[in-house]
Amino acid sequence: MATLLNLSDSDSSNLSDQSVGTRNSNRSLRIAEQERRKNEAEEPFVLALKYFSEVEAGTPVTGNDELENNLVQVEKVAFSRGLSPEAISVMLDFAMSLRMGTSPCARVLKCLLPASVVPQKAVVQAIVWLTVRKLPISSQVLFIKWVLTVFDMIDAKDKLRAIYGFIFSFVTDENLCPFICHLLYLLTTKENVRVFRVRKLLELQSKLGRQPYLLYLLSLYKVFCPELVTLSMPSRMKSGFKNHISPWKTALIRVQKRNSVQVASSISLAFTVRDKTASRKRKHAHLELPSLSPVTMKEPQAAQSSSRKLVPLQQIQSFAQLLQNMHRIELPAQMGSLLGSRLALQYLDCVQDESALLRLNFWLGYALHEEFLFCSDGGANKNPEEALQVLNRLLSAQHFLQEGFNSSDAFLYKFLNVWDGSLLRPQILGLLSNIPVIPSSQIKTLLFDPLMQLFFTSSLFFKCGLIECLNHMLLKWLTWHSAYALEDDLDISLNSHTSINITLSGFKDSVMELVHFVGRLASLGLQLEGCHSLLLSFILDFYETVCDTFLKFGLPLVVMPPLGVFYPAFFAADPVSVDRLAFIMHRYKVNLMSAKRQEKVTEAFHISRQIFREFNRYQVFMVNCLWNSNLCYPGSDVHLSDELLAKSGVPQFSTRFDLIHHPAFVSYALDFHHKCWPDRKDTDLNSIKQSKPWSWYLEYLFTQGFDGLKDFLQNNISRRVTMAGDGRDDVTQSQELGSAPQMKQPLLS
Amino acid sequence: MEGSRESAGRTPHSGVVKRRSKSQSYRRSIRTCFGVASGLGLTPALTARRMNTSRKVPRSQNITEKVKPEHLELLVKTEWQLSYVTPLYQFRHTQLKNYSRQLSAFIAAEKQQGLAVEVGKPQNTFKVSFSELQGLAETSNDPEAVLIQIQSKPMFARQEDPLKTVWSGWLSCINGNPEYLQSLPKDFTCLPLFCSKGAESLSSVVKSWLQRTFDCCFGPLDINQITLQWLAALWTNCHMETNIQNLKMIWTLPVEPPLKVTYTVNSDDALDLWRSTRESSAEKSKEAEDEVCIDFSEVTRFMQGLMSHFYRHFRVDLSAGELNQVSSALGSAKVNGKIKISSSRYLISIVSLLTECALLKMPI
Repeated sequence: MATLLNLSDSDSSNLSDQSVGTRNSNRSLRIAEQERRKNEAEEPFVLALKYFSEVEAGTPVTGNDELENNLVQVEKVAFSRGLSPEAISVMLDFAMSLRMGTSPCARVLKCLLPASVVPQKAVVQAIVWLTVRKLPISSQVLFIKWVLTVFDMIDAKDKLRAIYGFIFSFVTDENLCPFICHLLYLLTTKENVRVFRVRKLLELQSKLGRQPYLLYLLSLYKVFCPELVTLSMPSRMKSGFKNHISPWKTALIRVQKRNSVQVASSISLAFTVRDKTASRKRKHAHLELPSLSPVTMKEPQAAQSSSRKLVPLQQIQSFAQLLQNMHRIELPAQMGSLLGSRLALQYLDCVQDESALLRLNFWLGYALHEEFLFCSDGGANKNPEEALQVLNRLLSAQHFLQEGFNSSDAFLYKFLNVWDGSLLRPQILGLLSNIPVIPSSQIKTLLFDPLMQLFFTSSLFFKCGLIECLNHMLLKWLTWHSAYALEDDLDISLNSHTSINITLSGFKDSVMELVHFVGRLASLGLQLEGCHSLLLSFILDFYETVCDTFLKFGLPLVVMPPLGVFYPAFFAADPVSVDRLAFIMHRYKVNLMSAKRQEKVTEAFHISRQIFREFNRYQVFMVNCLWNSNLCYPGSDVHLSDELLAKSGVPQFSTRFDLIHHPAFVSYALDFHHKCWPDRKDTDLNSIKQSKPWSWYLEYLFTQGFDGLKDFLQNNISRRVTMAGDGRDDVTQSQELGSAPQMKQPLLS
Repeated sequence: MEGSRESAGRTPHSGVVKRRSKSQSYRRSIRTCFGVASGLGLTPALTARRMNTSRKVPRSQNITEKVKPEHLELLVKTEWQLSYVTPLYQFRHTQLKNYSRQLSAFIAAEKQQGLAVEVGKPQNTFKVSFSELQGLAETSNDPEAVLIQIQSKPMFARQEDPLKTVWSGWLSCINGNPEYLQSLPKDFTCLPLFCSKGAESLSSVVKSWLQRTFDCCFGPLDINQITLQWLAALWTNCHMETNIQNLKMIWTLPVEPPLKVTYTVNSDDALDLWRSTRESSAEKSKEAEDEVCIDFSEVTRFMQGLMSHFYRHFRVDLSAGELNQVSSALGSAKVNGKIKISSSRYLISIVSLLTECALLKMPI
């Protein structure tokens, strides 16, 4: 691969050389000159390497100019460009073999700056030299420090791991011990953790006292084999090993920058000892996530065969690692710790382990209950910050998994009864919106009763929040349905291991209950809050979901908004609400039409006549009001007699809600009037009703962004009539607009 | 379906690599909607568990033959601090020796922060022993109770001095709700009641070890008003067989300054009152003579009788206050979750009541 790349590189450079060279030969000459000089400069370096690889053992050092010159050559290259892997091998072998005694050793080690990688073989060999020849202690330490520094650049680690025991034997050396521990820390795998090594380290611990380097190595041993060793990290322990890398650090960074090598020399250890910032003050920290720690008790039969190969989840740092080890990951001792880690959640989502999920649920349920319901230590009021964090984490986990945890659902059903509606409102409402479908027989006691109470006793903002939350809940239910149910048979019943069977009709019932419930809340809420437009906006959001249940989510269910929502939306003073209502009515129509077509093909479902009747009533009312200037309530339960309306003293009351006089549009009408007849002094809005200005007015409204209105009108009013109006300008407006066939055939059948 | 899921559980390889089929994911989705496959989810979530409103009359049981005398002595002579525990994951009664070693090492490591400890090496400071408390389980669903004891040498003890027990605790489940117990997957052992005695620091170390090892959670278990009332009635009922001497109740009343009322009733008088409340209702169910049950309405009436008597004499309405403690010759119970059971003969029925309270605290 690398050679291929090089080839193509040189090819392209040749090509560019040629193209440039023909035009600019001076420059190419200059480049060639540079190359030559560089080669000349390299020549003595190659010779120097040759010298170091071939120098006879026992050659004197003092007064040896040849050695001095060659060493200077090597140092020059090393500090400017770094040494190639071969050069590293040669120099390391020269230094560690002590062919010319101990004196040049340190100097050579200090200039071992790799340009790219360090060959593993050279390191292994040097470690072997470490025992063969008597190296001064300082050089030994220097060598191990060098290995630690370049550890990430060593091209492979398998052979180093193979001599783990050999390296381990150096821990008994008091001077080397801290550095050897660090090296072992970097090399240790599960197979390396053995009882005799644990004992050796513990023996050292009793000799040397509580040394952080021993403790950190042991803590890694504990991660792999908690059944062999246990320890508890003091909370004030300095983290990680000391930074031993000073001699090379700056030079190495410079060399790397020059060579623009991106070797991730993560010299600072990513240490995953328990998060010490977690509040030490709290006595009962229910909400503190347990730390990711490995299982201590292995199943006896599993312990022998497979557990050696298992990888604790704690050791997984990246998604790539997760994928590689997917088949042999060991879940942590405490499942609650999973909530803190994306990777762990990803794994949980894949494995579908019943017990794991149950363990997580037990912990979560316990934490939530203790914190918010049992309140054994004063509850959430004491530390809202912590509760907030955990709930946010829970929410993001649920969001990530795209489903709730049933312990949090169970908790919510209880908590709703005691909630004041303000404590952690966004979080609680967020959790609530993740609640799965509840069978219609229980939905009232679990959800509606407590919510109803909260809704009517809380502020406008809570009301809006709750409607929004219920909208999300409905959306999730519908999405869940469209994602799973439609692809299976329509009638879904589960096998016996769940205590509930949900069928399509059961699901429909639940959805219907929910929509009716929101309808009730919305009607009363609008009354209570004086048809507040903010609340109305959230309610219309909800009905935008409801009106599209059939087409968007494939649920054969159409529920119309109640009168208490429809009329306030229609009579609203802001055009946005009216426009959205028009859009919703339009979508209802499209859904009903398509449902009706479907109904003819399959007998699978049936939309009740009552729904069509309700829809038609709203439809006719809207068209009559907006278009025909005729305020009538066709066959509805609400009826105001004309006499009563006449008593109000409003002139021409029946035209008050047409597109011109509707409070939401009157300003547009005025503006239009002004633009249409800029010279007119007296404003007569009725003049817009003439057929030409009328169609212009409609165009004008549509350009104002009232797309809902546009869809609604274009689908419900046949253009033919307005066109026909062109030729009959003399006919009075009321007659023209009042003529019957302007409305399309009602849907009712 | 059942089978394939199990196999996926056993060999994670196949379970992981295989992409979920649609129906599987549908099921899973609905499963997490309504609870795990074990059926645990829905029942408690949607129909909240409630305290039994009726329970059997406690019968005097001679458990001295079933339970080891040294265990019995420990159980009845001590005031226990109660906690509830969520089900233990992968707890094995066969591994108790191993647990003893682990916990010893854990305590040693906790006591000497920053010093690693080899597991299994005999510790000279604390010696932990796990053992089965046989003879307490009542039904086949109840897992055998487990006793944990920590022994230590006093600070300035001589070499030959025996170890002294410094901390004891036991996990139990007696007459646990069979539906709940059966709904748990077999990896879980439900021992919901944890009683401990000894230094608080040791309790928390033991709890934290159990939490880490068996992925369970501990919470305080208080003995609430209703349970205390039950105890008062049950103990009074025992007076028919065993002399309970006095029924003593302590109330606190929310006045300024707080008023503490110690209300001691002669056991004979209490029994008379209890009999009279029983008689009125007992006539209804005369036929079920051998399975005599007490209904909570009777308990309430009994307490009301006691309170109205008090009101008649002192013009203090106890129902405005809080019952804090109930005691008799058979034992004492405090609202903060401390209980002492003085007679082994009613041990089982009291612990059954407490097990029920602990199970009520289970989050799912």
